[in-house]
Amino acid sequence: MATTAEGFDVHSDHSHDAHDHADHKPGFFARWFMSTNHKDIGTMYLIFAIIAGIIGGAISGIMRVELAEPGIQYLTWWAEFMGGGSDLNTALHMWNVFITAHGLIMVFFMVMPAMIGGFGNWFVPLMIGAPDMAFPRMNNVSFWLTVAGFFSLLFSLFVPGGSGPGAGTGWTVYAPLSTSGSVGPAVDFAIFSLHLAGAGSILGATNFITTIFNMRAPGMTLHKMPLFVWSVLVTAFLLLLALPVLAAAITMLLTDRNFGTTFFDPAGGGDPVLYQHLFWFFGHPEVYIMILPGFGMISQIVATFSRKPVFGYLGMAYAMVAIGVVGFIVWAHHMYTVGLDVNTKMYFTAATMVIAVPTGVKIFSWIATMWGGSVEFKSPMVWALGFIFLFTVGGVTGVVLANGGIDVNLHDTYYVVAHFHYVLSMGAVFSLFAGFYYWFPKMSGRMHSELLSHLHFWTFFIGVNVIFFPQHFLGMQGMPRRYPDYPDAFTFWHEISTYGYYIMAGSMVFFFVNIGYALVAGRKAGANPWGEGATTLEWTLPSPPPYHQFETLPVITDAHDYHDHRPATA
Amino acid sequence: MGQMHSRMKLATLAALAALMALFAPVSAIAQDGAAPAVTAAEAGQVDGAQTAPGAEALPGNIAPANADAAQTEGAYTPMAPTKGKGMPTDPRTGESGAMMKSLTFQDQYSVDGEYALWMHDWILLPVITFISLLVLGLLLYVVVRFNRGTNPVASKTTHNTMIEVVWTIVPVIILVIIAVPSITLLARQYEVPPEDAVTIKATGYQWYWGYTYPDHGEIEVVSNMLSDADAIANGEPAQLAVDNRMVVPAGVPLRIQTTAADVIHAFAVPSLWFKMDAVPGRLNEKILTIKEPGVYYGQCSELCGSRHAYMPIAVEALPPEQFAAWVRAQGGTMPGEEEAVIEAPAAEEAPAEQVAALTAR
Amino acid sequence: MATTPPVLHDSDTARRNLRVGVLAFMGALAMLGLGYAAVPLYEMFCRVTGFGGTTQVASEAEAAQAATLVTGQTISVRFDGSTASDVPWTFRPTQATDTVTIGQRDIATYIARNESSKPVTGTATFNVTPEQAGKHFNKIQCFCFTEQTLAPGQEVTMPVLYYVDPAVLDDPDMQGVEQITLSYTFHRTSGPDTAAPAGTN
Repeated sequence: MATTAEGFDVHSDHSHDAHDHADHKPGFFARWFMSTNHKDIGTMYLIFAIIAGIIGGAISGIMRVELAEPGIQYLTWWAEFMGGGSDLNTALHMWNVFITAHGLIMVFFMVMPAMIGGFGNWFVPLMIGAPDMAFPRMNNVSFWLTVAGFFSLLFSLFVPGGSGPGAGTGWTVYAPLSTSGSVGPAVDFAIFSLHLAGAGSILGATNFITTIFNMRAPGMTLHKMPLFVWSVLVTAFLLLLALPVLAAAITMLLTDRNFGTTFFDPAGGGDPVLYQHLFWFFGHPEVYIMILPGFGMISQIVATFSRKPVFGYLGMAYAMVAIGVVGFIVWAHHMYTVGLDVNTKMYFTAATMVIAVPTGVKIFSWIATMWGGSVEFKSPMVWALGFIFLFTVGGVTGVVLANGGIDVNLHDTYYVVAHFHYVLSMGAVFSLFAGFYYWFPKMSGRMHSELLSHLHFWTFFIGVNVIFFPQHFLGMQGMPRRYPDYPDAFTFWHEISTYGYYIMAGSMVFFFVNIGYALVAGRKAGANPWGEGATTLEWTLPSPPPYHQFETLPVITDAHDYHDHRPATA
Repeated sequence: MGQMHSRMKLATLAALAALMALFAPVSAIAQDGAAPAVTAAEAGQVDGAQTAPGAEALPGNIAPANADAAQTEGAYTPMAPTKGKGMPTDPRTGESGAMMKSLTFQDQYSVDGEYALWMHDWILLPVITFISLLVLGLLLYVVVRFNRGTNPVASKTTHNTMIEVVWTIVPVIILVIIAVPSITLLARQYEVPPEDAVTIKATGYQWYWGYTYPDHGEIEVVSNMLSDADAIANGEPAQLAVDNRMVVPAGVPLRIQTTAADVIHAFAVPSLWFKMDAVPGRLNEKILTIKEPGVYYGQCSELCGSRHAYMPIAVEALPPEQFAAWVRAQGGTMPGEEEAVIEAPAAEEAPAEQVAALTAR
Repeated sequence: MATTPPVLHDSDTARRNLRVGVLAFMGALAMLGLGYAAVPLYEMFCRVTGFGGTTQVASEAEAAQAATLVTGQTISVRFDGSTASDVPWTFRPTQATDTVTIGQRDIATYIARNESSKPVTGTATFNVTPEQAGKHFNKIQCFCFTEQTLAPGQEVTMPVLYYVDPAVLDDPDMQGVEQITLSYTFHRTSGPDTAAPAGTN
């Protein structure tokens, strides 16, 4: 009954047989534009995320170069290039456009599509032994909504948005700067972009929840699911509950802007602070949406390369559930300076610090997984190790910021910028690279170069730390965020930070060369290139997996506990 | 005067660098002329379409640093800032300690700021450093001890209830230890100002600040950023210096109120551990007690549009009697002299053109 | 291999999928509704709890009831007036501070003057500081309840009739509060307007 890995073992076994049902692919247009195949959609999400990441990363390059020294160096040129005037106000507005675009692109069009759309689509069905997602066609709709959202955001860069082209409101789109404070359609297009991406994500979340609840292979109980699937399940619930609140909030912004409503306009009895409450009710779960799938990937990778099952599996799974639940009741720690009363602030301080407990459980469980293991430092593992350390650093600065009384001085400074880049640019992105190197052989059927991957890791590791560690100093010294220009005293650490960007950008060369090398000349990957530690179902399939997999469902027998996800015969 | 606190715990806070800075010659700042790339900010001042009425920056508005000794009752001369006090520290100066100072918070000159800094330096920073190093150490140990070469056969351990309980409970204990001073700090920051606290209302505009003194004859100060060149000429840090400062008395509780006229701004002064959003349509209020006279710089800390970076805050704390002199120099009155303002609308003939007095009626 | 038909097309699975999918989607719709519901809920929450320094509206009867609880203790009240940048008015309290007897009704006046050459209609938002005073600060009548239109150059006196609830004395959060600030900000509700001058009601 069980499908064995041997059944699909050799790629060429079925590739020569064009009529093999499992590998029958539709024509190009139907395959890539009307795709209902979770692996193809996953691939498209990953390519999309890489493109968005290049654009978002290039924008951060523009910002870092501008910040290398005080004064306005390049923004005037950019203002003219983007079709605005050459006056200083337009140049300064361009800065706000760049910070807005960078934030929105990285959050909505890089990290989320890569984590959930890319790896989630690719590996959730494989890991639970399902032939595809529950709603394959809706899966396609989700992807193209995300793409449409991205184009709406890009379009907003070229239409008027106040002092110049583009939306210069910050990714938080606070009213009233985003309403009465920004004249022109740019902000409308940016908001619309969030609507589209949000709708896509809500559909995707529905799809994942249904898939995980209903499509697990026989014997794959919830408590036997790989932790990556757990992480996507929790993430999907966060998406489902948080994104509609954002959708409501930004729709109200849109009607405030265009149809005379006054939800957030004090002139009509509205309250701009309410927008912040709504935004962060979404926004805080959103940061867990960005990191939880990373947690899941790190768990898989650490277990694989330690040749040891994950330590404290249930604790790990429920820690993610706890993080997700608590993530909904801490939002106002983003608003400590807005004018909250003391009791509210004390509550949010305490609730926020609680999150450190399940997060700590995860960190220590990863270390315990490695403890006593036989750790092999393949490319995914070094990224995972980097993740654990750097995420810890970002986490502990989060504990500092959780204190309402301390945050008063750090709110909206570079300390916050450093903090959330440590957990995202080093947390989420490191886990993305770890996942990429972990699953690239599975997805492409080719092995990447371990040497280039390690070079990429070390240069990237050095680069991002040089970028972001000095930003803690700037923040404590009082450097506000979202500033294109600054007092002379901040120059030194800004300059260092910009050098870090060059290192980081240079390190990406290794990444792209590596992909190119692997696709052109990479060694063929076997079903399981990572050895006995890789126990999840995707490693029982050939690399790349057949176009349709698990047409006969694998059976996870009770003889296996949740530490080994493979069917009995594997 | 419920805001006054025991300062016993604060004794540990006296940062040596701060004291050194206090006794440094005030004119030292004037030598800090190494500010390149002033073009944009200069241009900003020149094409100041959005600058406030009466905002013409006047070079020479501020006395040379060495002239502040001449300050006398009735003749207000803006105080020269003290290098390293109330402003960020430039690590490039080569002065001893400058690099170290640039790595952490600015020295604190408010009562709550000292407590907060103590909490950060003696509780939070040690805890987070320890945790980071612990995780790093464990990872390095694993790398060395449990790599494939040294440990070819992996154990199959997946549970240890004891250690799982420990690493859940210990963080909880650490967090409780952090929570105690954290809650204390919050309670202190939310002490209510006494009735006779000096009240200053800071209003955020795109892109400048307005300060009104409702108990001092409705003085209104409009505060625009000085161009880099003017700031340097004044011996002040570029992009922090303003034409008209928010002048307050030192050593007494202040009632700082903030609001905004257009979009959200935030009134922030890092060396006073003070930040409060200025939200249109609502008034926020916080107590602030500045321990000693000085000039304390800050910057708008909520994205408010294109010139967000160009609306700094400069708070000048004076001894109370000099503050009273400043008030009179602006045509205002000290509380208890209200009759004068009702009888004679003297405020209408405010001597300095930067000071607009609301019409009394 | 692949001898059984793909389970993807299993009608039972499809039906179960549809049910879970619809449930999940309804969850999302519920959250969307909650997002909108947050507007009235937040407003109600602020009104009931005084959150964020929201003042209370009291009837004459409630005011009379409060007056019976007067103990003679006093509290200082500060009055603050602001205008949004598109309201060309001077707007300020007649008196910056006042000392009132807790529980006893008092009247405060603001003076507003339209400095422009066009009629302007505005409406005032308000809050009190410290925030915890909101639920104890009661307005019986206020110019802020309605829109105000000022003809060019017109100056009006705007009264607010209020009292501080005696419950303030028993509220631990109000311990040590010596002064409550009542703040108004006028916002523009319409452009040039021909409405009749507003009275001082």
